[in-house]
Amino acid sequence: MTFRATLKATTTAVLLTGATAAYADGHATHPETGEPLASEQTFVYWVGDESPSFDPGLTEDVDGSAHARDLFEGLMNQDADGNLIPGVATGYEVSDDGLVYTFTLRDNAKWSNGDPVVAGDFEYAWKRAASPELASPYSWYMGLMALENVDAVIAGDMDKEELGVTALDDTTLEVRLSQPLPYFPQMVVHTTTFPVHAATVEAHGADWTKPENIVSNGAFKLSEHVPGEKLVRVRNDQYWDNENTILEEVTALVITDENVALTRYLAGELDQTQVPAGQFPRLSEEYPDEAVSVPSACSYYYTINMTDTTNPALLDQNVRQALSMAIDRDVIVESVLAGGQKPAYTFTHWATAGFETPDVPSASMTQEERNAKAAELMAAAGYGEDNPLELNLIYNTNESHKSVAIAISQMWKQTLGVETELANQEWKTFLETRGNQDYEIARAGWCADYNEASTFLDLMDSNSGYNDAAYSNPKVDELLAAARTSDNPQANYTEVEQIIADELPIIPIYHYAEVNMQNDKLGGWPFNNFQQNWYSKDLYKIAE
Amino acid sequence: MLNLIIRRLTVAIPTLLILVILSFVLMYTAPGGPFTSERPLPAQVLANIEAKYGLDQPFWKQIVNYVTGVVTQFDFGPSFQYKDRSVNDIIAQGFPVTLTYGFWSFLIACIVGITLGVFAALKQNSWLDYLAVGFTIGAQVLPNFVMAPMLVIVFTLWLGWLPGGGWNGGAWQNMVMPVIALSTSYMASIARITRSAMLEVLNSNFIRTAQAKGLSMRRVVIRHALKPAMQPVLSYLGPAFVGMITGSVIIDVYFSTGGIGKEFVNSAFNRDYSVIMGITILLGTLTILFNLIVDLLYAWIDPKIRY
Repeated sequence: MTFRATLKATTTAVLLTGATAAYADGHATHPETGEPLASEQTFVYWVGDESPSFDPGLTEDVDGSAHARDLFEGLMNQDADGNLIPGVATGYEVSDDGLVYTFTLRDNAKWSNGDPVVAGDFEYAWKRAASPELASPYSWYMGLMALENVDAVIAGDMDKEELGVTALDDTTLEVRLSQPLPYFPQMVVHTTTFPVHAATVEAHGADWTKPENIVSNGAFKLSEHVPGEKLVRVRNDQYWDNENTILEEVTALVITDENVALTRYLAGELDQTQVPAGQFPRLSEEYPDEAVSVPSACSYYYTINMTDTTNPALLDQNVRQALSMAIDRDVIVESVLAGGQKPAYTFTHWATAGFETPDVPSASMTQEERNAKAAELMAAAGYGEDNPLELNLIYNTNESHKSVAIAISQMWKQTLGVETELANQEWKTFLETRGNQDYEIARAGWCADYNEASTFLDLMDSNSGYNDAAYSNPKVDELLAAARTSDNPQANYTEVEQIIADELPIIPIYHYAEVNMQNDKLGGWPFNNFQQNWYSKDLYKIAE
Repeated sequence: MLNLIIRRLTVAIPTLLILVILSFVLMYTAPGGPFTSERPLPAQVLANIEAKYGLDQPFWKQIVNYVTGVVTQFDFGPSFQYKDRSVNDIIAQGFPVTLTYGFWSFLIACIVGITLGVFAALKQNSWLDYLAVGFTIGAQVLPNFVMAPMLVIVFTLWLGWLPGGGWNGGAWQNMVMPVIALSTSYMASIARITRSAMLEVLNSNFIRTAQAKGLSMRRVVIRHALKPAMQPVLSYLGPAFVGMITGSVIIDVYFSTGGIGKEFVNSAFNRDYSVIMGITILLGTLTILFNLIVDLLYAWIDPKIRY
């Protein structure tokens, strides 16, 4: 670089820096809430481990998705309540048969290198995510979206160019589905559908997400990534709505031990961390403004092996009913977990959008009534004090799962005289054991992929790959299939939940809550966003 | 001596090869695989991934391909867990971190441990001795997974002197607590071994002779007693050094240092085959190398040993 060029570059850099002065310098208060803004706009939060990837096509975990939501922007975003709001797309139209969605993209969206974000970037990203060459662990999500030809593309039987997504021009993206999917727009909030910058991906291969290579289109860009230690992102001044971004810097700190993370939070090093199991009551007393518990889109349940490799007693519906009724869920959520979780008598999380938790008989009984009924059912099945039932229960190694398992086995013993042998297994071993139906009763949890009841209930489909109970009921399959194309699937969901509550291939135990310690000076956190999809561009720091 | 070095290095090659094969077999017999997940992948997706990483090949071919890659290109393959990192990346990032805090811990453990041991022996049954013995017992019974969070509470939360974790490119503030937590129990062992070895040496005839010649105590200790007293210490220091520089999962977990120890344990949980193998080979090589160095040091310290 010659002297003149250096001078020019320096001047440009100085001018640019001047042009993108911190939001808080020019604005004393938040434009909507009127709260005074702190001069230092940073957000530091805890993550438990390094994410496998934040490449949109490959993202597979919650933390990696949070990184991706800041670094990239998809067609649609969610607001603080989880409602759809425009992202790169300003809106969409759907054909009468519900099979073709046409998204209109804004013309001022830019990549962090200044290139415009065009419909072709989405087309490229979606085809890449489904392609066997990328072999994404989340390519199944493209399948869930029911894109035209998606299964054949994933299977390698059809070229990825045949996938049902086409950029008609720079600002129009056409998506073709193989079946109508009423909740399709909700699905494009997911990171798998985010665009990627084709030239960068092609140039750097798997290394394109490294800080020195990455080009992204989100409100933030990657400035530093030390795997296992931290990931830092800073304001992206090319972002189309950059003038409304308030935070300057967002840092994810990897801290494996939750208790150390809590200590570091209390020392002021973090703005947000997870509360270790059982500590919420103490913390909410000591720090009432900082300890928060909000519903989180996951359900906790015990799955029962329904195949002939199981304990024969478990094939008796009376036994399953008795086991479910004898669990005092209030004790589990209030005494064992104590973090604002809610007892579950049905599978779908109560806070799922558009879902009304159906009435099931056991939910409205008192625990005494349930216990009495349970004892009766157990006796009817031929088990009692002189002929006690013996069961095996497995869970993945974790203190909280252990506490729940001990409490439940104790309840079964006291109410039903059941002898339960507990065993913990390391995660991958556990998944293998459970997936092969090499168990009697196993702990399980399921989190929503999108905010609609089918994300839970599809597990009960006899063809679902996640149906570890190996449960099969043609009626349930039929109801679920019909719900997929129905404009008002609630009736079907109610019926499925009632069948499940009756036949109990799974025993719902509780609905999760997200329990955090959070700096009370952090504003804009979407507590009401059920999927906890948060965007740093909506956050801000309030002045002391 | 040269003969010994050549002989040992020749034996090292088959040793490493056996290590590789054994690890490979053990790894594959563990239930679950790198792509076993809570959401079992559809068969086609799993097949695509396995093809991408060569896991669809027969077992023997995987070993051959792996060893060939390592020997010919020094390529330990991609991580199965982290999509944008190769095993070489992971080692290149984590090992220098571990080496740095491990080296400092070793140095401090040696200096403090040996000094403490020598003085305790010289002042046997004095308050200094009792203090040193008390310290060593205390430091040994306090495991580092208890000490680590305690250090964070004291230095970060109460005193606010040090950052509670992170590596920050190796800044000294970030290194203080990891080094204390890692070195203390080694320090205690070194002090204890030094003390008893020193006591034994101080009671031997040649020391009495040296004293009879009218040499000062300081001279006796430094010139005559220290070297023979170091023999048992040395046999402890070799493995201790390897232990410290090959990483401690406890340190990495509690201080978020990003060292190789946590990567190693994580790779086992994640069934990240290539990372397990890469780190196993690295640690195996280091162990062989440092054992050889310790053997050579023996010969230097003890004239009775000749190879």
